[in-house]
Formats: sequence, C-alpha cells, structure tokens
Amino acid sequence: MKTSMFTNLARFCALAALVSFAPALQASGGKIVIKAGRVITQAGADIQNGVIVIENGRISAVGPDTKAPWDADVLEHPELVAFPGYVEAHSNRGMDRPNENIEVAPFLDVRDSIDPISFYFEDSLRAGVTTINIQQGNSCVIGGQGMIVKPFGITIEQMAVRTQSGIKVVAGLRPGASRATQAQALRRAFGDLRRYLEKLVQDTRDGKDSARREALFQGKDMDKDENKKGRAMEGSATWKVKDLEIVPRGEIDDKQEPLLRMIEGKLPVFLYCDSATSVGLALEVIRENGLAATTTLVLEGDSWKAADQIAAANLPVILSPNLVYTEREPVTGKEIQTFVPGVFDKKNVRFALQSLTPSAQSLWFQAATCVAWGLERKKALDAVTRTPAEILKLGKRVGSLEAGKDGNVLLLSGDPLAVKTSVQYVVLEGNLVYDRSKDVRVKHLLEGVEQNNAAPTGAQATDDGDDDHKKVPDEIQKKHDAGEKKDEPKKDEDKHDHGGKKD
Amino acid sequence: MLTAILTACALLSGPGATPAKGEPRVLVVRAEKLLLGDGTTLDAGAVLIEDGRIRAFGKDVDVPAGAGVITHPGWVSAGLVALHAYAGAPEELRDSSRPVLDGKVAWAFDPAHSDFADAVAAGITTLVLVPQRNALSGGSSAVVKTAGARVLTEQAQLSLSFSAAALAPNRYPTSFGSAMAELEQRFEKPQGAFARAKSGELPVLFEADSREDVQRVVAFAKRLKLRGAVYGADWIGELAESVNEAHLAAIFAPFDPGEERRTIQSVLKLAKSGTAFGFGLDSPWKSPESLRLSAALCLREGLDRKLAWRSLSSQAAEIAGVGERVGRIEKGHDADLVLWSGDPLDLKSRVDAVFVDGQRVYEAKKP
Amino acid sequence: MNLSLIALLCCTAQTAQQPKTQGDAPRKNWVVSAERVYTAAGRSLEHGTVVVQGAKIGMVSSGSEDNGPETLACYAVTPGLVDASVRINSGALSVEQSREETPELRVTDTLSAYDIAWDAQAGSGVTCVLAAAPDLNVIGGLAAVLKTAGEPSIEKRTVKNDAVLRGAIGSQPSRGNHPAFGRPTDFYSRRPTTRMGVEWEWRKSFYEAAASRKDPARAFKGSTQVLAALDGKLTLDIQAWTTQDIRTAVFLKEELEKEPQLGGKPRLVIDAAAEAWKEPELLVRSHTSIVLPPFPEDGRTDDGAFMAWNTAALLVEQGVPIALSAHGDTSPAGRLSMQAGYAMQGGLDFDQALAAVTINPARMLGVEDRVGSLEVGKDADLVLWNGEPFQATSRVIGVIVDGALVLDPRTKQ
Repeated sequence: MKTSMFTNLARFCALAALVSFAPALQASGGKIVIKAGRVITQAGADIQNGVIVIENGRISAVGPDTKAPWDADVLEHPELVAFPGYVEAHSNRGMDRPNENIEVAPFLDVRDSIDPISFYFEDSLRAGVTTINIQQGNSCVIGGQGMIVKPFGITIEQMAVRTQSGIKVVAGLRPGASRATQAQALRRAFGDLRRYLEKLVQDTRDGKDSARREALFQGKDMDKDENKKGRAMEGSATWKVKDLEIVPRGEIDDKQEPLLRMIEGKLPVFLYCDSATSVGLALEVIRENGLAATTTLVLEGDSWKAADQIAAANLPVILSPNLVYTEREPVTGKEIQTFVPGVFDKKNVRFALQSLTPSAQSLWFQAATCVAWGLERKKALDAVTRTPAEILKLGKRVGSLEAGKDGNVLLLSGDPLAVKTSVQYVVLEGNLVYDRSKDVRVKHLLEGVEQNNAAPTGAQATDDGDDDHKKVPDEIQKKHDAGEKKDEPKKDEDKHDHGGKKD
Repeated sequence: MLTAILTACALLSGPGATPAKGEPRVLVVRAEKLLLGDGTTLDAGAVLIEDGRIRAFGKDVDVPAGAGVITHPGWVSAGLVALHAYAGAPEELRDSSRPVLDGKVAWAFDPAHSDFADAVAAGITTLVLVPQRNALSGGSSAVVKTAGARVLTEQAQLSLSFSAAALAPNRYPTSFGSAMAELEQRFEKPQGAFARAKSGELPVLFEADSREDVQRVVAFAKRLKLRGAVYGADWIGELAESVNEAHLAAIFAPFDPGEERRTIQSVLKLAKSGTAFGFGLDSPWKSPESLRLSAALCLREGLDRKLAWRSLSSQAAEIAGVGERVGRIEKGHDADLVLWSGDPLDLKSRVDAVFVDGQRVYEAKKP
Repeated sequence: MNLSLIALLCCTAQTAQQPKTQGDAPRKNWVVSAERVYTAAGRSLEHGTVVVQGAKIGMVSSGSEDNGPETLACYAVTPGLVDASVRINSGALSVEQSREETPELRVTDTLSAYDIAWDAQAGSGVTCVLAAAPDLNVIGGLAAVLKTAGEPSIEKRTVKNDAVLRGAIGSQPSRGNHPAFGRPTDFYSRRPTTRMGVEWEWRKSFYEAAASRKDPARAFKGSTQVLAALDGKLTLDIQAWTTQDIRTAVFLKEELEKEPQLGGKPRLVIDAAAEAWKEPELLVRSHTSIVLPPFPEDGRTDDGAFMAWNTAALLVEQGVPIALSAHGDTSPAGRLSMQAGYAMQGGLDFDQALAAVTINPARMLGVEDRVGSLEVGKDADLVLWNGEPFQATSRVIGVIVDGALVLDPRTKQ
C-alpha cells in the first residue's frame, strides 16, 4: 500500500535514531555519576544537589555528598531533577499484534512478537518509562507468556529484562463469546490440564512410551536431569494429580507445561477482569488452582465495584488507564463519576497504574491525574514506580534510586508531575540511552520540522505494528481489530417502534 | 363507484339512524352503580336511551311503555375514549414521501378490521385515528366509533410532527431547523387545514418525543397562537408550566406494566398543574387493555380517582373535540355505554357488554 | 445483590458531585476566596477575593475575606472557560443537507438543553461555548454563543444569537456527496465532491449575494446572512484543518476584500486550523483569528493534517490571536484545561494559555463584554480549582455560572 514505503522509512529513521543514542559512555568501565539539583529517590526524602553513582549497571551509592570515582563519566545538571525510571506493570503494545486466534495458547511467547523498532518503545523512553511488562492482549482464555523489557535495544535479547515474566489469563468477556462460554472455557482449560496429566500418569503406569517418543521427536534431551526426573505436583491447588512423580518432567508436552508451571506457582499470572461480574469468576479460578500468591488482577470497566472481594483476597491490582469511571444514574440520568484508585486506596489494596497513551498521557500523567482527584502525591508516585516493580517481582531492581538497584535514572526538566516537565536524559542500566536534544522525532512533534524520511503528513497506519507490509486480508484484519473493541451495551428498544425515541 | 358513494353516505350518516340490529328503539339500562362523567358514582341509577341517544339518566328514570329494560348487576359508564390510534390501517397512515401531506385519515381505514372489535371488547367506543409521524404533517386525524363504522369527525386535528421521526437523511427536511422554518412558512399564507388551524378552528396534534421537542412545540404554538395537544413525550409533566402557558393538552402513549416511575410522575405533575391529559392507544401495536392499565398505574401512584376516570372518558373526548357528543353519561350524548362487572378503574373488572349509538355491539361470553 | 450494595457504598464514598443545571442551583451573593486569582484581565492576585452580586461580578480584590457559609474557598479561581468549538449538537439532525448552503438556519433550533453533554462541560469548567452545526454542509448556518448551565432552555442560555456564520473548507463537506452515475438516487448526487467544488460553492454564494444588492431577484435563501458576512457584520467561522485549506480560506477572505464587485470587509476566524504553524505570515497579514483543535498525541489530526505541539506558542509569538478548543472532550486527558496545559508544554506561558481559553475566544465571538475575564460588571462565571489551573495534578472543584452555584466545592469529592 502507498503509505507502507513512508512508514518503513520512518521506522528506519527511528531505528537510526536509536542507534545514534548508542551509549557513548560505555568505554569508561561502565561507571557513570549523575549530579542533579534535586534527586527524588522514591525511598525517603528528596536529596538536594544529590549524587548518584552507577557502576556496572547498578547504583552503588546515592547521597548528597557521595564521592564520585575518579574514572567515572559525569552527567552534571544542577538545573534538572533526577527520578527513577517509571515502571509499566502491564502493556500489550509494541507487538505486531496483541492477540492470537487460539483460545488457550500458553505456549506462545511475546518474545516472538515484540518489535524492537516500534514507535511504542521510542515513545515510552521519551516519557521516561524504563521497564515494561509486555503481555498478550485480552482476546483469549489463556494467553501466552509475557516478558519484561527495557525500551531500548535493537534486538529482543538486548531489550530483555526478564523473559517468561508471567502468563495472561482472561476472566473478562471476549468478543464473540458470552460470559458463560468464557467461564466454561477457562474452567475447562484447567480441567484439560488435569485430565492430561492423569492420563500421562496412567500411561506411564501402563508402560506406554508415546509421550517419551513425542518428547524426543520434539528434540528434548531426555538425558538431562530436569527432563529425566519426575516430581510430585507442587502448589496449593484444590486438586492434585496423584503420582505425578513417576512421569519424567520432560515428557510433559510443551503446550501444557506452562500451565503446570502456573499451577505449581512458578509462573506469575496476570488475570484480566473486564467487569465486577468477571472478578467473581477470577477469584474462583484463583482459589481452585492455588494461584493466590502469584496472581495480579488487571482491571477494566466496573471491576472496582468488587473492591471488597479483591481486598479480602489480598491481591494486587493493575488499574485500567481510565482512572475515572463514569455511569449514569438510572432515574435522573445524571452522570456519576468514581475515582477508581481512590476506591482501592481506601481498602489498602496495592495498585499500579497503566499509561493511557505511550507518550503524551504516559505514567506521569496518570499519577498526576490521581493527585488531581485527591490521592496523596507519594501514593500516586509509588503507583508508577515502586508498586509495579514489586508486582513484577523486580522490587529489588527497579522503582527507586537506591544502592543495589538498576541504574535506571531519568533527568527531568522539572517536577515529574508538572505539565511543562520533559525528560531530558535517560540512563538505563548505567548507559545514557536518551538525550532529548538529539531526539529527532521530538523536534518533529514539537515544531513540525519536516524530515526527509520522518513520519509524513497524510493518513497513516497505526503507530506500532503497522500491517501494511504484511498484506493481511481486510476481513481478517477487521476480526482482529474487533477483538480489541469493547462491546457496547445494547440500547433498549424504543417504545414507539413506529415513532420516535425516548427522552 | 355507486357502492362506494353509498357506503360513504352510510359511513357519514349522522346519529338517529334507524337501528340496524335488534335492539329496541327505547331502552332503559339499570345499574348497581352509574359512573358519571365527572367521576362521581350514582347508586342504583338508570339511563334512558332513545334512538341512539341518551334522553335521561338518574336515580329515578321513568320507563316509557314498550321500552326494553336491562338490569345490570355491576357498573355502567360512558364508553372509553382513546386518543391517538392507528387501528384498522397502520401501514396506510405512514407516508414520508413529502414533508407535508394533505390526507385525511378518515379516508384510509377499514371499519371492519378486527382492531375495532378488539377495542370494543376492551370498552373503548370512540377512537381518534391519527397519521403517523414520519412527515412534517401527515394530514388530519379523524374521530371514529369503534362499531357501526361511523366517523364522528372527518377532520379532527391537524397533525404536525416535531419528532425526529419527521426527519430523514435522504429527503427534505433533514434537520429540526429547516423543519421549523418550513412549518413557519406554511403558516404564513396558510391553506386548507393549515388555515383552519391558524384561525383556531382546527386543533393541532403535535407529535413529540422528548422534552426539547415539547419546548419547540410550546414556542411554536405560542408564537402562532395554535391550540391543541402534544402526544408522545413521556416526561412532558416536567414542563407543565410552559405547556399551560401555551394552553395545550397532553396525550400520553399507553403505559406498560413496568412503566418507568418518572413517566407516571410526569402525569401527576400535569394533573397537579391543571393541564388536561388523556391516553393514546397506539393500536394495533399496543393492546386496547393498556388504556385502563395506564390509568390504573397512575391511580397506584396517587392520581385522583376522578381525574383518572376523566382522562379515559370525558376529558379525552374534549381533547378530541367531541366533548359535546361522547365521553359522559349526559342528556343528548351518544348512547355509548359500557356495562362493567365492577369499577372500570379496577383491573379486576371485566367488560360485560358494550353499547354504541344505542346498539348492543358486544356481549362478553359467560365463563 | 452483593455487588450492587458494594457499588452503592463505593459510589457514595468516592463519587464526584455532578453539576446542577435544572434551575435549582442555589443563587446567593457568593464570595470566592482563593490563594490565586487569575483574572485574565491583566492582573493576577495572590490571596484574593471575588464577590458575586446577583448574576454579575461585584468585586475583585486582594486580601481574603470570610463571609461565613457563603464563602467558597479554593486554591485558584479563573474566569469560566470559553470553548469556541465545543461541537455539541444533534448530529446530522442539526444540518439541513438537502442544500449545500443553509446560511439562514439557526443551530439553536436543533439543540437540546437536556443533553448531559452540557452538564459535563460545566463540570469541567467550560461555562460558555460556541454551538454550531456539524460541518456536513459547505455553509452550515448561524451559530450561537451559549452558557452550559442554567435553566434547561436553550433560549434562556443564549448569550448571543447569530454570533458567527459557520462553514467549512476541506474534504468534510463533500463527504457523502457522490456524482450521479446514471440516475441520481437522492439529493447527495450533486456537487461538491471535491475541494474545488467546496470552494466553488463558497465563491458562488458570495458573488450571488453581492449581485443581489443591485438585483433583488438574485437573492436566495440565506443571501441576507451571506451579505452580512461579506460586510463584516457577521463573523465568518470556517473550519480548515490542513495548510491548503487554511490558504484557501485566507485567499477567499482576501478576494472578498479586493474584488470590486464584492467590496467586502469580512472578519475571519478559522476553526481547527491544525496546520496554522506552517504559514503564520498568511494569518498575520490577513488579520485572521485561529481556533486550534485538541492536541493529538502523535500530531496527526483530522483531514490528514499534522499539528505541531508548539503551534499555539508560535502563533502567539507572531501576533495571531488564538483560542484553544477541546471538541467536547471532558476526560482527564482531553478536557479544555488540559489543552491549555499541552499548549504550555509547547512553549506557551501561563497567561497566554489562560487568555487562549477565556478572553481570546470571547473576543472572537463578540461576547467579551460579558464573559472571558474576572472584571466587575461581567457575568459571574467562575471556575474554582484545587491546584494550578492547567496542571494535570489539578481539576475543577467548583463552578459558578451567571451567579448560580452549579458545582459546589464544599461537598466532599
């Protein structure tokens, strides 16, 4: 299609921009010192004229009088504010497509779908997001495994922070299915796993070796200990498969193995609920399959109405980007607005925020909106740094500027929540990966400066994962796109069928 | 052709025609309770009918020699008057080919249609047939009897539609603004029904849906000094004051059992401010039984009993412009009576028999 | 059911109060006491007071006052915001599409005061708007300036009827029209189907209207309004997103002025001028005012236009009068006050941003004698904030329209 050439050129430009950010400071043994007029550590009081020392990718010291090693590169900006990189607890952007057609597909991995030069990562970096948990989208029953990345790198390996960071489970309504069907499919997925394992045990007892032959055919090294040995079923599910230890682990099919890992509490779960109704289903699934310790709920719609139950189950939540939920009072027709984070804060439920858009309304904007609606500034900032870090089990690595944590530091032109503030520099694991003055696309966005191969004016394909060059038939594209839209509630049939509408 | 003319003559024949069926010319109907036009009741009352008209009523009514006598162990009232129906010809009344149509509904309906029999069986003796609201003006409404194929008023109201249904994307007018402008223009040098409406002779039936439609109706009616009634806006009661200022009446679409409380409250608001109101039938889409149901729901919400009764009978007749002919047990009125098993506002009551123009047109089968 | 009880509790605990608009808003002589009073009339006060008298502003002064229960305290108070392109109407039902030009039709005949969109506007601090028909026609008709709260009557809320003559240049008016292949099926088989057709309709209207001055037989429905626009008595409000359309609008204005048979003195406001940043000098030399559309995240807007984030700052620098608009959005990210914030991100300073959402649009719409700033004698339209007005960390906690308290800052929110 006509626009694909331009878009490809734009993508190459973005790529080139990325490459141009290539850390110029690596040569000095990985030591960098950042001096800022104000250091917001997110771990105690702000430090005036603070110093952050990063060695080998980790912060080795933060303080007002910290001595800088003589051989370190120094980034000295008394006019700027240092802040920890934001942590995006859950996102399904940055992939070529967020969903697959298969309902239960735990064997999929977003690693195979992430597009490193997607504009999404560039936008995230510009907005100061340095850790992103990419998960599959919501049009599935059990989706693939996710991955935590940093938005910098040309290859996925370079971007990786942690692979197989969690699995996506959907209790919410999927387009094309009713709630009853979705619930049934979800329960059946676990039921299928159980039946599969029981059959495997029985087959092993009967001396059948088809599973072993299949494993070998799939290329597994059955001599390795981890494949050769069997293990009793672990975890706290209400059901257990007896004698699972007689089955060598390697014989468990790759398609079922991630589910078993999830049941055994070894694979974190991100459970999506689109409404309060689906929260009930979610809690039931969690209870039956022993997932309480490893699950984070990803909420949408009016799920907040079930906040009491969520609080009782002691689960952390990731909130919908729409922080203010609006509904109409049935009798008077007046709008009722509910500030959702406030509901969870009152019930002491740990919550993380999602960005609304990759750059203009990124995590800083969401935290600022929370402050506007009365949430304490500290809690708002935690919800975009420390709490998502903890939820992602990276609490020891990101979310604040403390010794021992990753050297992910932002240098901001002002207070993080002020509207005029922009990210001037980003240091990622000790490397300077972003310099706003060299950001080619910012100039374009801000001033409309025409680039030869920048994103041109005119109708464009979407930001990330554009499909033009893939030549997907329209009908299939539409089906996928439809998967991302929420169903609109049906309007009541009007009384005057032959006449007008109700007031 | 000749048959058509004769039929037309028969249809338009006035009262006092020779009774076609086997009811005596003079008839006395005695009732346990007589429900009068103002909503009061008379114990052990009677009605004297002669040549299809009511000649006398009261506690003591002389029974002339040769008169038939019916003693009814229940209530007797005037027949119900339902406003705004499409009975007998719903599809004949929908025309959006032009913004202003000059038709008369009286020419379009089939009096033998079963819709009328259904209405009779529910105690309704007078119906206002209206054009549908898909044109700026669908034509003129007609007042008809539900039995005997009689047209009481050939041109009862000029229908003007202020509803979004009058607009269409593929023909003029497509917007409210131009619709209003078109109507204003039509009234500038009015002809036919528009002239009669402007002079105050012919009331207008304003079709509306929402409160903002009612606001436009009120402004228009005041500006052009038109009189009439507004149909279709459930929450019109919330604008009772301005409706009164424009001297308009309100007609409600028939209620469902689960009708929104706010709509019923709207009726009460109108009653409180003294605005005249009645109920439409919307047949054949709604059952004729919904007429009594609508009144009963309002009663339950606190509407004055007498007002509720009047809205189904005498007041509705006034809104339809036939208040001097039907709607009340009154000397000189058409002998349209319903014999009930009890209070018609009580939904437990059944229709036992119906008289239209002095003829027994319906008798309920004994269970 | 358990969940609905929870819902009710959650609702009462955390809901924001919704603005009153049904004429039941209490009206007293309110005293607003704020740490910052931003008047949009040249001065800002620290620790100031604004006193409402009836429906007008009675006093603006330094120093805090406490008038007991009628004192409303807040961090900042500004004039009610004015949105010159709010785009709230009845959709296609607001436009007569059987003709391409309907200059005589008023959009107010098609609006509903019961639309909850007005309540949402008032709740987000926008107290005064320009209501116009959607741009489905080349010339859509007469637009009006309305208040967003008050008695539920469009008539009573109207500040100025026939404030501007609304129309559009670009691809929008021609969408839906198609050439007649074979037999025309409906009246959409007509011109214009292209931009040049749209421009032809504009010029035809003006030339025909001008001709009707001498020859009344050439008058047409709406020619009076077109003449009024030509003579500068009625401001022209033309939507033009892209550079080519902005140029067309400006050149049209200049043609109206220069052509001897037209001899016009038109006043031009261009709405949704997303690409105004490309040729500001055109706007300066033609004395055109600009209403900017909402800032898009990636710069891409309607009609294929690209809006640079520094557009507002650039135009102000060049001396072009600008106003910002939100196109009806009241969400945290899209509301008018956030548009001002985005403009500040693009380089506008606070006072300029404030002007762009208050006095500037008021002036463009010809209602600056009544709204747009906190000055004695003007309408008492005030917005109370819980922080600095255009920050993402602030929002509207109180609104007064025509002296009536529409959103009460004292209720728990």
